[in-house]
Amino acid sequence: MTNLDQFESVFKSADRQPFSEEPINLEKVLVVTDGDAQQTEQLNYQLRQFFGGLEHAIDPPYSSLMGDQFSNVKQLLEKIEQVQPDMICTLRNLHDPIPELPYSLGAYVDVMTQVISCPVLLVPRHDQWSKTNEVMAITDHLSGDNHLVSYAAALTSPGGTLILAHVEDEQAFTRYISTIGKIPTIDTAIAEEDIRDQLLKEPADYILSCQQALEQRSGHSIQVESVITLGHLLEDYKRLINRHEIDLLVLNTKDEDQLAMHGLAYPLAIELRDVPLLLL
Amino acid sequence: MFLIASQATVSLSVKILFACLLLALIVCLALEEKLHAKKSVIAGLFAVVCLFLGSVFQILPFAPVVVGSQPATESASPEVDESHTGGQHEGGHEVIMPVYVPAINWGVIAIILGSSLFVDVTSKSGLFTWIAIRVTKASRGDPLLLLYFYGTMTVIFSAVLNNVTAMIIVGSLTVVSLDKLKLRDKLLGFLLIEGLLTNIGGLLTLISSVPNIIVGTAANISFVEFFLKASPYVVVATIVTLMLGARLFAIRRIKDPEQKAKALEQVEGFDETDGIESWGFFWFSVVMLGLFIITIATTSVLPFISDLEMGFVALSFSAVMLIRYKAEADQFYKAIDWDLIAFFMSLFVVIYVMEYAHVLNEIGNGLQLVLSDITAESASAADTSMLLIGSAGFSSVTDNIPLAAMLANILNSLGTPHESGLWWSVIFGANLGGNLTPIGSASTLVAVTIMHKHRVPMSFGGFVKIAIPYAVVQIGMALVYVLLFLR
Repeated sequence: MTNLDQFESVFKSADRQPFSEEPINLEKVLVVTDGDAQQTEQLNYQLRQFFGGLEHAIDPPYSSLMGDQFSNVKQLLEKIEQVQPDMICTLRNLHDPIPELPYSLGAYVDVMTQVISCPVLLVPRHDQWSKTNEVMAITDHLSGDNHLVSYAAALTSPGGTLILAHVEDEQAFTRYISTIGKIPTIDTAIAEEDIRDQLLKEPADYILSCQQALEQRSGHSIQVESVITLGHLLEDYKRLINRHEIDLLVLNTKDEDQLAMHGLAYPLAIELRDVPLLLL
Repeated sequence: MFLIASQATVSLSVKILFACLLLALIVCLALEEKLHAKKSVIAGLFAVVCLFLGSVFQILPFAPVVVGSQPATESASPEVDESHTGGQHEGGHEVIMPVYVPAINWGVIAIILGSSLFVDVTSKSGLFTWIAIRVTKASRGDPLLLLYFYGTMTVIFSAVLNNVTAMIIVGSLTVVSLDKLKLRDKLLGFLLIEGLLTNIGGLLTLISSVPNIIVGTAANISFVEFFLKASPYVVVATIVTLMLGARLFAIRRIKDPEQKAKALEQVEGFDETDGIESWGFFWFSVVMLGLFIITIATTSVLPFISDLEMGFVALSFSAVMLIRYKAEADQFYKAIDWDLIAFFMSLFVVIYVMEYAHVLNEIGNGLQLVLSDITAESASAADTSMLLIGSAGFSSVTDNIPLAAMLANILNSLGTPHESGLWWSVIFGANLGGNLTPIGSASTLVAVTIMHKHRVPMSFGGFVKIAIPYAVVQIGMALVYVLLFLR
């Protein structure tokens, strides 16, 4: 193995990104609804239930923005700017004539998730959500995403289970392997096996370091499970979420390269209307 | 295999023709990069032309070769060319083989082939990457400690493995770890120092570099003698080079505790076990590497083994290591640097023809005119200095292997005694000359290749400008050392 690139690959592969827990501060939570005071108070109560299971119970002062306090996106953003919350809790399709329209999130949520830097907790309009025993964090690039895992871990009840899911896009993988198959200088079978192994090894290594850190921490011990697979992103995530009966789904929504919501987050946020989603 | 030149007369015009061919080969090797041709192709073409012209001018010995003969006062077979037997011999048997087969020094080829195969298979155990990452962790991410540790590791790897492999391992780790530590601006300094130290490490043992093997075997220097005589210089030169490098490239220790903690956290992220597929094979490799070094070091005194020489040891160890990969051994054969092997073989053929064309004799005569007394047991200070500086200068612009092969052959045929410091002048000059220019040695060329790969601009002139203070100090120290202790 006297090839320069071979040794560089070995060292790059040995360069792990161990999990390092980020402190999560939730000192101010802003609840944004399109309802009246009673509906808003009900949502506040539901949120206290939801976060109440946490050992260091997240019980920050809840500020509220009710439906009559904003009538356009600009107004809403100005109000949020005044409060400077650490997290926003809200509902889909605010001020939409049909609030359960299953084809969009509504203009307010769209803008909030992309313009506001703090996380947005998107909760169902019904009240069938009250605990965080089963939390799932998903991404197609899990390795090194300390921010995502730290939020998911902070919102998992003590003794609860945090499922870290990484689904590698099989369609993209197949397309690359098909291209490699047309290059005579690359052994397709070896390339397919090696690339697949390496793609799945990186999240596996990272999840292992998450397990070591989160299962052994004092005071807030949680169980960490991993799901690493090659598959169809949307379908596999939906299948995993249904199978595990998830209480909270944590996912990234911001994409540095675009103004719109991250490719995978948008369809999931639209379709998974019965599960609270923490959009980072 | 250093042959005694043929006694047949060769005309001046033929000598000039072959001398021009030798000069052309040296120039072509110096311009290897410009010609976009591999060394093996260049030397191979010259070998073909030399053999053909040697046959045309009837200067080559086409008689059968005698093997297994004993020295005698009378020739056992008058038909056999004495040049092949080194004088009058009796017994043995004649073997018919192409003239270019005995031209090649198969002992040297066996050492290079066996060692590179052994190192390649041992690398697969993850041993070298394990060592490299442990060294990185031991530095705690401190830039100065990292430079010292990587520098020392380069020297040791160069000595135990070979210069090119050492540069590849340490150079590629340097890129990854400096990237991780956000010290990309120090990459040039690290790579340059490591490149220069490969040639220092290449001086440590008899098998650390090809010039050592060629000159050492010609001078009959044992592994242990070589190590004992070269190691003091290697230690001092390494320390001086590292200190000079740290100063000139402003590589300093981290003082801020917060930065220290962050650097430590960064290097702790490396997992040294990542490249280890099997712990059993890992520990087997550790034992085999230790045994390899011990056996090579003691080959000359080991019963039975001493007659089989170091090439046998290297090939045997590689064969044992290959048992682990017996079903995929062909992958390792593919990874062998056949360009280097073919280059050596071609070069030996060219030198062989030059010997029969009496070109080496003429160079030797020229050398005798310049040097006062080649055959003196204690070489004069002027001869030692001239040969060392001349070898360094020559090695800086072209490959040091033809120089080593040519000078070893000439010194040997002129009867330079084993104790003479002239051998050491060639060894030190041929190794250290490579530090003057980026094309002076394969390992500095690898260092420059890594720089270019990672977009660190480095021209020929730029390299010379930066490397010259180090090279001058190293060659100056070598000169003083040879004059004081090895002459």
